[in-house]
Amino acid sequence: MILIDRVTKSYGKDTNPAINQVSLFIEPREFVILVGTSGAGKSTLLKLLTREEKPTSGKIVVGGIDYDTLKDSHIPMLRRKIGVVFQDFKLLPQRTVYENVAFALEIAGMTRREIRSTVPKVIELVGLAGKEKQFPNQLSGGERQRVAIARAVVRQPKILIADEPTGNLDPKHSWDIIRLLEKINKYGTTVLLTTHNAEIVNKLKRRVITLEHGKITSDQAEGSYRQ
Amino acid sequence: MSAKKKHIPQPFAGKKRARRFALSFLRVVRYGLESFFRNSWLSVAATAVMTITLLIIFTAFVAQNILTDTIGDLRSKVKMSIYLQTDTTDQVGADLSAELQKLSSVRTVTYISANMARTQDAINHQNDSSFLEALTAATNMYPATLSIEVNDINSTSQLQDFVDNNEMVKKYLNPSHKPSFAGDRRNTIQTIGRAVNFAQDVGIAAGSLFVFISSLIIFNTIRMAIFNRKEEIQMMKLIGADKSFIRGPFLIESIIYGFIAAIVATGLGFVAVYRSADTLTSYQISVQPTLDMLSHYSGLVLLSMIAIGAVIGIISSLLATHKYLKI
Repeated sequence: MILIDRVTKSYGKDTNPAINQVSLFIEPREFVILVGTSGAGKSTLLKLLTREEKPTSGKIVVGGIDYDTLKDSHIPMLRRKIGVVFQDFKLLPQRTVYENVAFALEIAGMTRREIRSTVPKVIELVGLAGKEKQFPNQLSGGERQRVAIARAVVRQPKILIADEPTGNLDPKHSWDIIRLLEKINKYGTTVLLTTHNAEIVNKLKRRVITLEHGKITSDQAEGSYRQ
Repeated sequence: MSAKKKHIPQPFAGKKRARRFALSFLRVVRYGLESFFRNSWLSVAATAVMTITLLIIFTAFVAQNILTDTIGDLRSKVKMSIYLQTDTTDQVGADLSAELQKLSSVRTVTYISANMARTQDAINHQNDSSFLEALTAATNMYPATLSIEVNDINSTSQLQDFVDNNEMVKKYLNPSHKPSFAGDRRNTIQTIGRAVNFAQDVGIAAGSLFVFISSLIIFNTIRMAIFNRKEEIQMMKLIGADKSFIRGPFLIESIIYGFIAAIVATGLGFVAVYRSADTLTSYQISVQPTLDMLSHYSGLVLLSMIAIGAVIGIISSLLATHKYLKI
């Protein structure tokens, strides 16, 4: 599903590469946790996957799309195939819960009928039924993250990238979000999660990839958080 | 596979594409309208700034028109005179007028005979009995005059050539009165001409500068409005929105700013011009032609203002969003 082959990303000639000769392969339907200290290269790796950044060298293939041959004009199409959840939610502040989720379908050109039948189901899936007409500033942090997840999965992407989705949440809401991601993974979506939360990593017992100074230092099938 | 593709009826593919395009367009318009109303404080601020700047553009345009008309008036009031002998006949005057009229630099020619000049002077001094008595007793010494309105008061060389080379004018030229475009009076006329040209050039430069500054102000306002929402733009990008889908609502918003601002600015501008017309006229400023033009082409003026507002808004939005739409 995700192939990263000897990828390096440098931001300048005189600086150490943010990602240095990283290779990894993630199978379809896997739930993978990416850990590492700040500056280890996690965010850069995710930016490479969402094509916010281009690698300095190496090859990236996601869902059969080879980034080497990907034209800039096709980047929006690629991003529609990948769901992304951010630590700071990145919701449209002037739009309701329903509109935020529907937006992901509207940009893909789906009809109003299709949107009307899909969005309520996804809002229910993330546990926000009844809050469709509320605006982001009327919701708690956990609820906002649920909206962001609903928006990310409403197009039924094969891959969901969650960049520290629990970073701004208290433990209870953090676990709600993790359970939701597990549920989404169970439905067949590959999940790539980055987190600093050792408790979550240790309890999930999923594949854990550790990044340090831009390199993979461990890749365990049922890993734990390493200090 | 390729054989299958050939069987897809093309008209349906085209229809689907057109339907998707129409759907996206309607959504972009809807998003633009919603953003305009939901970001109300920003919309009010942007529309207010745009109104002021469009009003400046309107004022620059009207002022330029009034200035041009006033200068035109002033030019037509400055007349060149060729003085002829007192006994010049009306026939000679008419012949010389016809000759002068053929010159490209001449706009109009009026022949004033010595008798007409004396009568006019008598009318001008009708309350001065001693002047009138003296005028009646004395022999008519007034010169006959060819009063000439030229296209450009700075350019009199053609007239000078005419006086120097035309045999008939040389024969009847009054030896004691030089033409007004020669000698000391020439300098006075040229000074007026230079002042008029300077005023017109300054008017054009000031008008252009106002329009330029106004466009910059609008651009900056829209840039600030879009800067406030750069995270929204980045988020839209990351979830796969096309550039046109992201840009579209901002363009629609800018067009709405321009539309409302143009209506308000045009209304305010019309009221200001009509209310100040009497005062300006009392200072010998030629306002009437501009008033006539504004009332005759009011619809066109409004449409032009809307177009200017929309175009400046669209260009500003395109430039401002471009920065946040890379990759």
